[in-house]
Amino acid sequence: FKDDASTNPQPFTSMNFYDVDLPSQTTEDVGLSSPFPQPRELSTDFSSVDLSFLPDVTQENKEQNLPGDGCEVQEELDGSMLRSKESGVFTEGGSSSHPEASCPYTDASGACPPLTPMTPLTPVTPASEGSKILPQLQNIVSTVNLACKLDLKYIALHARNAEYNPKRFAAVIMRIREPRTTALIFSSGKMVCTGAKSEEQSRLAARKHARVVQKLGFPARFLEFKIQNMVGSCDVKFPIRLETLFLAHRRFSSYEPELFPGLIYRMVKPRIVLLIFVSGKVVLTGAKERSEINEAFENIYPILKGFNKS
Amino acid sequence: AGQRRCPECGSAALLEDSHYAQQQLVCEACGCVLAEGLLTTTYSEEEQLREVSYLQSTGQREQQSRCLQRGIRRVQDLCKVLQLPTVFEETAVSYFRRALQLPAFHLVSLEKKELLGGCCIFVTCRQHNWPLTMGTVCSLLYAKQELFAGVFQSLQQELGLSVPALSLVDLVKTHLSSFRLFQHGAEIPAPFVEDKEKLVARTLQIVELASETWLVTGRHPIPIVTAAAFLAWQSLQPAGRLACTLRRFCSLVGVDLPPPAHLRLKELLEILLRMASQLAWLRVFHVDKKTVVKHVGELLQHRLFLLKKAFCEEEEEQGAAAPGEGSLGEGPPPSGQTEQKQSCSSEGKHPCKAARRPLLPPCLLKPKKRLRTAAPSASDCALRGDEPISDSEVEQYLRTPEEIRALRQVRAWR
Repeated sequence: FKDDASTNPQPFTSMNFYDVDLPSQTTEDVGLSSPFPQPRELSTDFSSVDLSFLPDVTQENKEQNLPGDGCEVQEELDGSMLRSKESGVFTEGGSSSHPEASCPYTDASGACPPLTPMTPLTPVTPASEGSKILPQLQNIVSTVNLACKLDLKYIALHARNAEYNPKRFAAVIMRIREPRTTALIFSSGKMVCTGAKSEEQSRLAARKHARVVQKLGFPARFLEFKIQNMVGSCDVKFPIRLETLFLAHRRFSSYEPELFPGLIYRMVKPRIVLLIFVSGKVVLTGAKERSEINEAFENIYPILKGFNKS
Repeated sequence: AGQRRCPECGSAALLEDSHYAQQQLVCEACGCVLAEGLLTTTYSEEEQLREVSYLQSTGQREQQSRCLQRGIRRVQDLCKVLQLPTVFEETAVSYFRRALQLPAFHLVSLEKKELLGGCCIFVTCRQHNWPLTMGTVCSLLYAKQELFAGVFQSLQQELGLSVPALSLVDLVKTHLSSFRLFQHGAEIPAPFVEDKEKLVARTLQIVELASETWLVTGRHPIPIVTAAAFLAWQSLQPAGRLACTLRRFCSLVGVDLPPPAHLRLKELLEILLRMASQLAWLRVFHVDKKTVVKHVGELLQHRLFLLKKAFCEEEEEQGAAAPGEGSLGEGPPPSGQTEQKQSCSSEGKHPCKAARRPLLPPCLLKPKKRLRTAAPSASDCALRGDEPISDSEVEQYLRTPEEIRALRQVRAWR
């Protein structure tokens, strides 16, 4: 890997395109380099590249290209680079994809017009091979500001569905049946609502909790409702060799069978944490929007499928 | 400053002594206590001179170097106890120094700082493929594994360290070397003594088999190694050893019996039994889970072939002879062409379909009955989030005045 970096003519920018969290590779890696190259020189500086013949990214284009083979350079870049990274892994070391990293285009995706001769990237998984599995949302955590000071003891006394144990936790725990959710209500007026299975459900549930507080006599409002976290899960329907996945994706994964049976995969784009289990079940968390969960799963599915073939 | 004198007896012989970790100024002559001090406190409480226990103290009041020195000494002592090479000690100490300077670890309790030292050693060992398990480090530090896990993960993140996977091969060698089985002793009867190299070699083979058959992924490694070692040991001289149980074996060799080891042993025996069912000359013996141990050597010898025969890729029908070998036809069987032909022809007669099962992790073979949340219905999908909320729905959650009165009365009694 180090040799490849030195022969590459482009400057080695310090911007870490994919590993936003991790520092640049220093001697911390005791002689153990990651199995695939980090195309860091692929910075966002495309000033030298002629992009005039790209189709305009209009609303229709965006919608068409949603399944993941968007022609928009940035998106495609990420998608194809991520995928070529993975295919680089399968082809022994991936040094072959490194010199091709200078070209941001692929000709495997049909939507892009043919270009003047440029070295093509390693072929990308065509969109038609998409997983056809949709992750199901399991939990949504949202917060809202009721914008008034609350008397938690009063609420606990006058509401049937509230529990308050100040020695254990400084908030009232309120549960409603439909949608089946739990809310943590703090004396400052802030509320956290958990347990809903969709964004709309979460909003409706939070409103119902706020209505209960209102009916108890507090001037509760409904400000700054925000989805803070979304958790989804799905099943790829085949077993996964976690050890092999860990070896191939050390930079992103944490697999400690002594601690936890699943592999913790921290995807950088989108910024989602995936828990991958040997049974093929995958849990995705850390999303602020549903699209992030779907995108993350579409990114991981070809990786997992690749290991299933061996 | 003038010499303090004891108010009781007037003696000038005063000395500092500690009584249950509390510093005291005591008169040597009459034993009168002149002053009591506090040993350690947390940073904020130190400012207000309030007492805090040793482990909770941040050591902030002490000079940084003393806390660091103590931590480094601890790391060095641990390395000596674990008999690690000197280069490991240096690396671990350098990690510890770096970590202690970071804000994430600077102000944690001394308990966590001790764990930090253990984590640095653990990470160093893993990076050099030295098979040290978390369980060992935790027991040396008398630490809770959850706390250790937390410190380990923060350390990884803060220092940006990459920790390679635990090498099972090295773990087997290290774990087995702690067994008291290789010499005849007071507790080890002669038929139980075993040659270390042979035991290690066979255990490695069984662990590899377990890994191929999905018994290792996602599971704690030590119970698998223990169960594999036990099987290997039994199979090397079945005559005298079949009667020995796993529990007795562990207490003899001086190793803990981890609870999952029994389950791992059961799973290994099941795999071996399935393999045995594919070996033509074993069918006459009617092997069961007690006697299959005698044939482990042969089974391991032909394991590649037997695994292919005993387990199918998918839920495929086992067709007759040649055409039905689609699932096996990837590559030529590595050993025993004659065996294959024999078992194929006999398979046509014996209904071996029932014996084959897909090669899957145990969690997929015996799925626990769990309430599957139904996929969102159409009505759920049509939800917009801003539907009107009826008063009656909200009022069901409010207590009536009678309820409140009753509750107040009940609470008044408390």
